[in-house]
Amino acid sequence: MIPMNFRSSGSAHRGLGEWILQRLSALYLAGFAVWIVVRLMLLAPTDYVAWKAWMADGGVKLAFALFFLSVLVHTWVGMRSVFLDYLKPLWVRTVAQLLLSFGLFALAFWAAQILLVDARA
Amino acid sequence: MPDKNYKRPKNLDLLHIRLPIGGFVSILHRVTGVLLVLVLPLTFLLLQESLRSPESFTQVVALLGSLPARVLLFFTTILLAHHFLAGVRHLLLDIDAGISHGGARLGAWLVLAGVMAVAMVTAGRLFL
Repeated sequence: MIPMNFRSSGSAHRGLGEWILQRLSALYLAGFAVWIVVRLMLLAPTDYVAWKAWMADGGVKLAFALFFLSVLVHTWVGMRSVFLDYLKPLWVRTVAQLLLSFGLFALAFWAAQILLVDARA
Repeated sequence: MPDKNYKRPKNLDLLHIRLPIGGFVSILHRVTGVLLVLVLPLTFLLLQESLRSPESFTQVVALLGSLPARVLLFFTTILLAHHFLAGVRHLLLDIDAGISHGGARLGAWLVLAGVMAVAMVTAGRLFL
């Protein structure tokens, strides 16, 4: 039962979730970046068939799916902090965040298309 | 009466304050982040075209070999190197690693040195 003196903390703790998301996605992106750079420098697929076969591999596709998810989350939180800090008029900030949301939504569908259609074996 | 002609210092007057090295690396982390977001759709496009068909794969390879593409690739690599290294520094600061005054300054210089190293290796591979 909710005590009588219960008060909602409102949006006071909302930032914590974003702070954690920013760091979790950062960790994955850093690991992915190291992996992809090392992998492509040591064993670069030389032709289309080899490249396509590599991308069609389940593990690679999963790694890319998590990369797309992380990069979109990371972009959302990062750009939001930039907007909050530098875009002062409320309407400018709102328009910017709206455009960012649409853009990231479009990128999410694009990423799904790359993984499900273009990277198919 | 306060002197109306006295110009109070504005702390956020970016043209007049000299950022400490940590602040410099930190603001560059933001700048590189925003620029990388602008490059993101381009990387989606290149990845998709490289997978779509053998013909489009050949086109992507040819495009990436062109001089303008290599210049863009060079700058994107520098952006990524800075954002990566400065990001790792921030993550380490989160767990109090390198949080001391001297440690934070050293870390910032290491980030810049790392970016320079990546820039030189990348330039060598792309343009020599």
